[in-house]
Amino acid sequence: MPIGKTAVVGAGLMGGAIAAHIANSGHEAVLLDIVPEGGGNRNALAEGAVARMLKDDPAPFMERSDAQRIATGNIDDHLDLLADADWIVEAVTEKVAVKQEVYRRIDSVRRTGAIVSSNTSTIPWRVLADGMPEAFARDFLITHFFNPPRYMRLLEVVAGPATRGDAAAAVADFADRKLGKSVVACNDTPGFIANRIGTYWLIAAIGAALDGAVTVEEADALMGRPMGIPKTGVFGLIDLVGLDLMPLVGRSLRDALPADDPLRTVYGEPEIVRSMIAGGYTGRKGKGGFYRLDPDSGTREKQVIDLRSGEYGPALRPRLESIEQAGRSLRALFEFPDRTGEYAWRVMSGTLAYAAGLVPEIADDVEAVDRAMRLGYNWKRGPFELIDEAGAAWFAGRLEGEGRAVPPLLRAAADAGGFYRTGDGGREHLAGAGKYTPVARPPGVLLLSDVKLAGPRLAGNGSASLWDLGDGVACLEFHSKMNALDPDIMALIGESVEIVGRGMKALVIHNEGTNFSVGMNLGLALFALNVGAWPMIEETLKGGQDAFNALKFAPFPVVGAPSGMALGGGCEVLLHCDSVQAHAECYIGLVEAGVGIVPGWGGCKEMMLRGLAAKGPGFGGPMVAISKAFETIGLAKVSRSAKEARKLGFLRDGDGISANRDRLLADAKARALALAEDYAAPEPATIRLPGKTGRIALKMAVKGLARTGRATAHDLVVVDHLGTVLTGGDTDATREIPEERLSELERQAILALIRMPATIARIEHMLETGKPLRN
Amino acid sequence: MNQPVIAGYVRSPFHFAHKGALVEKRPDDLAAEMVRGLIAETGVDAAEIEDLIVGCAFPEGEQGFNLGRIVGLVADLPISVAGATVNRFCGSSMQAIHIAAGAIRMEAGEAFICAGVESMSRVPMGGFNPAPNPDLYERNEGAYMAMGDTAENLARKYQITREEQEDLAVASHARATAAWEDGKFAGEVLAVETADGPVDRDGCIRPGTTAEVLAGLEPAFDAEGTVTAGTSSPLTDGAAAVLVCTEEFATRNDLAVLARIRSIAVAGCAPEIMGYGPVVSSEKALARAGLKMADIDLVELNEAFAAQALACVRELSIDLERMNLDGGAIAIGHPLGATGARITGKAAQLLRREDKRYALVTQCIGGGQGISTVLEAA
Repeated sequence: MPIGKTAVVGAGLMGGAIAAHIANSGHEAVLLDIVPEGGGNRNALAEGAVARMLKDDPAPFMERSDAQRIATGNIDDHLDLLADADWIVEAVTEKVAVKQEVYRRIDSVRRTGAIVSSNTSTIPWRVLADGMPEAFARDFLITHFFNPPRYMRLLEVVAGPATRGDAAAAVADFADRKLGKSVVACNDTPGFIANRIGTYWLIAAIGAALDGAVTVEEADALMGRPMGIPKTGVFGLIDLVGLDLMPLVGRSLRDALPADDPLRTVYGEPEIVRSMIAGGYTGRKGKGGFYRLDPDSGTREKQVIDLRSGEYGPALRPRLESIEQAGRSLRALFEFPDRTGEYAWRVMSGTLAYAAGLVPEIADDVEAVDRAMRLGYNWKRGPFELIDEAGAAWFAGRLEGEGRAVPPLLRAAADAGGFYRTGDGGREHLAGAGKYTPVARPPGVLLLSDVKLAGPRLAGNGSASLWDLGDGVACLEFHSKMNALDPDIMALIGESVEIVGRGMKALVIHNEGTNFSVGMNLGLALFALNVGAWPMIEETLKGGQDAFNALKFAPFPVVGAPSGMALGGGCEVLLHCDSVQAHAECYIGLVEAGVGIVPGWGGCKEMMLRGLAAKGPGFGGPMVAISKAFETIGLAKVSRSAKEARKLGFLRDGDGISANRDRLLADAKARALALAEDYAAPEPATIRLPGKTGRIALKMAVKGLARTGRATAHDLVVVDHLGTVLTGGDTDATREIPEERLSELERQAILALIRMPATIARIEHMLETGKPLRN
Repeated sequence: MNQPVIAGYVRSPFHFAHKGALVEKRPDDLAAEMVRGLIAETGVDAAEIEDLIVGCAFPEGEQGFNLGRIVGLVADLPISVAGATVNRFCGSSMQAIHIAAGAIRMEAGEAFICAGVESMSRVPMGGFNPAPNPDLYERNEGAYMAMGDTAENLARKYQITREEQEDLAVASHARATAAWEDGKFAGEVLAVETADGPVDRDGCIRPGTTAEVLAGLEPAFDAEGTVTAGTSSPLTDGAAAVLVCTEEFATRNDLAVLARIRSIAVAGCAPEIMGYGPVVSSEKALARAGLKMADIDLVELNEAFAAQALACVRELSIDLERMNLDGGAIAIGHPLGATGARITGKAAQLLRREDKRYALVTQCIGGGQGISTVLEAA
């Protein structure tokens, strides 16, 4: 039976956010907690959780209205609300007795066969199910979400020996397709996969920093970018999750593990951590953690603690010779002969060897472990991918040379040449001595990385490539730095239209980068500005417009498949696609105003065309569409989800949203093939716009923004140009103008704006700080 | 000469635009309900009505076509009753009363229904397709100046402090709240049918509004300014209707006369301080009535903004104790086209209720105008 109605018991940080994410998926969720002591509102905990989450940043809800799908209550008065739930998640405190009491109450009302799962992060299934009725155990499993549940893609699922196979399958399917989670099946061992390895790593990293005379910033610099781990590294991460949680999680994990487990060997509770917690230095939620913002000077200067003295001082950006010398070579960093190279080796060799010793105890294969660390800890590469990168044989050899144990699986990888290889079936992982099996992809999952391994690419250059997805569908991939749009990408767009036009059916634009595209390469633009290369700038503008129009008017359908940010030019690419299949986590916006210009690659034009075509609510002539586009572009609005992008007009009603990023490309390909049946390219449109009258109306509207301090002096200049473009320049309401006229107006506006010092200052500021200048 | 009198007044509950109970109510339907309600309340024979004159500040969309005729047809008035729409922005339905009064003096009809309506939810202020004259705007920005900016200009010009403005807002809410509690709106507010059931109470009034609460609001129009949402009238949905007829018609048909219309006036002022308009129009109306401010017992002065109202109070030497006895637009709301009929009908009712002789009714108008009516007890 598929899951429809759901419930969450426990409205704490995790429980509330899990309910919110279920609501995001369009499903109803009941959210219950206990009746608070001391009288008053009996639903205060659940209601308070929803109210708090509406203010939280990052937002647990994709749209504010999603909160309406949560029915709040308390477990004493509203237990019966669980009666028609198909799946009930328990997310109460990590105490077995408390959890089991909750299970008994759930069991008294749940319908036969309703699935119950625990969001425990450490307690094994067998302990939670112990003493519970057989019928309950059959429907019971562990679903371990990572914080924050909306954004972290990992879901660890543990089915016990008694758990019905179809119950685990139903939850996994719901989590995959509706919640967008990548489900990793874990064995019933303490800490499951990600926290087992992650906790070892954190404890080892703190211990080694205390022993090895590296500073907090140095440790984070070494553990962060070089390892492909978020730049918070170790200490920044602990500040984020809370120092006080470390001993709690660490202790419970240690106590649950066998005496000879390596985690017990490295385990320690350093005195400095203890005294920080006692002093209220519990991290970002407290007075500060290993890092803090100077509370005294008023400068909010970033400070860092000295691990030995316990004193705070200014945080430095360490420039480590080891990192600079090693470049991209992990092995060179591990071998670098100073305390920092030794630190990197000591922490990572321990962690990676620990992971190698845990397969198949905690998971069936290495790929599951790598995926768990990638999606649960945001590592770019999992432990086994890291070992492969350093060289499995070298890695095993060095352990051996140091007299340390080499786990059998690592030995096998060293002998066979790594944990992964590319075979006939694509990517394969080591599955025992000398044996490789293909990395399994569930039906409906298509990854560009797999396609790329299979090769060959149809065309490409340093910034973009064209791949064959099969069935006559090609995929255009951006892979420049941050997927910024540059002349190479524009060139390949033109080439791709030719190639696909010669006998292929459709084109999908997609990549697996963190962000689809952050827009125009500003560095290149600033360079051209500084040397006054106006013809080149005009050429870049026209070239981009032509490239995007080539996509729009191509004789085959083009489908955009973005995930992450699609800003500026990245958004404009999507606006020119016939259709978009967006990942639910899509942050789309025309942010050009932030750097003092207007969208110039057809962003203004396309927003006007779709605004005029859309039958919005209410009445009105072109000013309705003009005003909406003016507001969206003028305020540089960025959607905080794909659903919100639809409200802002970046996505159309017919565009699709995929909850699971791994399904995005397959969904987009299917969409492209459906469009390819009887496809007819659009005809260039003609439109009527009000011209100067409309521009004055917009100008009037903006005046108030300036007076209330919401718009700066240069904002007024920029939006005046924007208004000119959106209202059609010197046209008149009675005249029909071709859409191409708006492209011309875009170019004119930009060429005027980029000559202004205030615009140049905005571009420079953005390049230097990553933030818009308010001048 | 025929004497025009006010012989009936009703209004709908007033509710916040975009979030209130009347959001889904079409303005033509709302106005028609008030017209029918007025006929029922007064007992006037609809066949005797010469014209239905409907004031509306943005007569387009659902307020479009010839709203006056449409409302008459929606209300099933006899075919013989004519219909016209009149726009003088916020002064629209007071202008409708003036037109009727003038026609009566011309002996061009005996009985008129003067109504007003605005659904600020369904037709935005500024209209759907604002198309200002570019040349005029470049020559004279004030012509299209946002209302809040004109209020700030007056606050600055007359040195009206934020605290004074907030005191007026607090009083407005307190008086409106008390009037409801004392049943004083019973003879005036008619229930309106909506999809969610009948609506019979005002929706904009905030009982218990305090100076402390208002002091916490951000300036709404100018970061350095003093005017806030709390000292401005809200965007409102609502309708009102007034029966204007000859005194002789009222006697012949046994209608209850509320007040005589003694004099009327309109006048222009600088658009940048449009809220000053009541000063110039009231001076004219008082002079035409042969009266001085000291003779006036009751004043209904539309509170478009507290700053604007207080500037007029100061210039006209109005006694605040005699002004807006049941609260003003800051509390009750200001559906642009309906307000003129509301405050004129209200003043006529108050003359009877309070047993007073003269009332001055006045309001400011965007673009820089004032409109005034002097009423005398019947």
